[in-house]
Amino acid sequence: MTALLTAYVLMWPVLVLGVLVTITGAFVKDVR
Amino acid sequence: MPPAGEIAQLGIIGVLLLLLLFYGGTMWMSVVISRRKENADGYMTAGNTIGFGISAASMTATWIWASSLYASVTAGYTYGVSGPIHYGLWGALMILFIYPFGKRIRAVAPKAHTLAEVMYARHGRSSQLMLAGSNVLGSVISLTSNFIAGGAIIAMLSPLSFGAGILIIAGGVLMYTLWSGFRASVLTDFAQVVAMLGAAVVIIPAVFFLAGGPSMFTAGVEAGNVTPEQESFFSSDAFMNQGAPYIAAVLAYAIGNQTIAQRLFAVREDLIKPTFVTATVGYGATVIGVGMLGVMALYLGVEPAGGDVNNLMPQMVGTYLPVVLVALAFIMIVGSLSSTADSDLSALSSIVMTDIYGQSVGREKANPRVMVLIGRITMIVATAAALFFATAQFNILDLLVFVGALWGCLVFPVIASFYWKKVTNAAFTVSVLAALAVFLPVRFTLFPLTGAWGLVVELLSVVGIGVVLGIMAFGFFGLRPAVIVGAIATVAALPLGLGYLRDFETLSGSLVAYAVSFLVCYLMSVRSRQDFDFAVIQQVTGDFEGDDEAVGAADEIPPTGAAEPAPAGR
Repeated sequence: MTALLTAYVLMWPVLVLGVLVTITGAFVKDVR
Repeated sequence: MPPAGEIAQLGIIGVLLLLLLFYGGTMWMSVVISRRKENADGYMTAGNTIGFGISAASMTATWIWASSLYASVTAGYTYGVSGPIHYGLWGALMILFIYPFGKRIRAVAPKAHTLAEVMYARHGRSSQLMLAGSNVLGSVISLTSNFIAGGAIIAMLSPLSFGAGILIIAGGVLMYTLWSGFRASVLTDFAQVVAMLGAAVVIIPAVFFLAGGPSMFTAGVEAGNVTPEQESFFSSDAFMNQGAPYIAAVLAYAIGNQTIAQRLFAVREDLIKPTFVTATVGYGATVIGVGMLGVMALYLGVEPAGGDVNNLMPQMVGTYLPVVLVALAFIMIVGSLSSTADSDLSALSSIVMTDIYGQSVGREKANPRVMVLIGRITMIVATAAALFFATAQFNILDLLVFVGALWGCLVFPVIASFYWKKVTNAAFTVSVLAALAVFLPVRFTLFPLTGAWGLVVELLSVVGIGVVLGIMAFGFFGLRPAVIVGAIATVAALPLGLGYLRDFETLSGSLVAYAVSFLVCYLMSVRSRQDFDFAVIQQVTGDFEGDDEAVGAADEIPPTGAAEPAPAGR
């Protein structure tokens, strides 16, 4: 249960990082 | 790190430097894109051709506001591990479920500025004013809530007062939004989303490991800090009290919020889907992720400072993180409230410019210069009004939840109006007013939900469940699957809802609003002989002046400090 809860807490920042990279990449593309 | 039980302080100098950095940066971005003569359409929708990167960043930043971060933490602390899901997931779906309807709205009105403007073209003045009025109410309340959140966080992390805090936030947001309107709002959203998401990526794991890491879960259970219900990922308590009312509000917030409509009209038409899907994931991950701070607080046995759960987020950050990361969290909160506040200002200005001035003089006679001036005056007046409400003793969040439920009265009539030729102005107006007349006594329990009245409310609520799920299915799959989903949901909910739903007046209030507006609008329209031509909408709505880009390219103001004038097309 501890491992599951740890993964549950830490999966969100990983997902946020993925969105951040996607948006930043697209923004740079828009500007160029 | 501060001693146990104390919250790290940033001090007056620290807070002022961070605010100067934040608002100085956004002001610089705003100046870079400013024009001596702003185009009226650009001021409202930025030329209808925004790319994916800017629009996805803007939709994400706009939807993540300070209250959503606070509420998600509260949900995690109150309901346990499933709490943030039942807050953030449904909030995220508000963005997702609007895009199929957004594509339809954009197809019939490619150059519109507000949803109310389209309703004017479809039905006339009364429908337009109903929608515009509800949009204004929602945006003013949202603006007020964001100012309050800003004042509170400044007062908590520095010796500055709440009053000084709301003045700084209001002044900062107004300063960078006033001149270029929506264009400034959208571009600065990118910087704000980078700050917010970047901070979330660092802060969530940092608090987790500095507060004890995985061992906090076993220690929390052993100490009796969590109940079995709070440990469950499938908590019925969390679903009924947190999740279900938000599911009912998914479509209402999407339809009732001009900040979403503005982005639907601004983004390049073929990029609506990727923009809104990306924003759905971005909002959901960030808000649910920040909600994990509430889950951690629960397992750690943290008591909210002053007994106020709204203090939990700054309390967790200020207790466990070094000052540098507290500063990062401060920027995250200021970024979240500023990005939403500037969107509210842009939304309010576009409603007054289009639905009040533009419609009163007519599109052909509207003076674009006067229009932009009216937009700027609206922003100043709205800021002053929000500052007044922020110092009054209203419970702003309760008010916003109430307005969200109120928007439920509009959902079916608005959506049906974009697809069904038979919907008349009378059907729209009467159905919304009838839904309001039933919603208010249920929501505020003016009559006890017992006996025959209780049964009527529950039957309507069950129909409301079918309507909500049916509309959701309609957006993605079309009419026939929607009717099947709605019918199955209604039949399935009937035995579960009777004798049960009356205990949840907030949820029942929202559901009866959907049910009554659907029943009245459908019954008044089904026999109507109206055969509306949707091509009319495109003729009635549209630009108030010429090509946006041509004006901008020739008329840029160089960035401050630039030795040479900026080249055209910067």
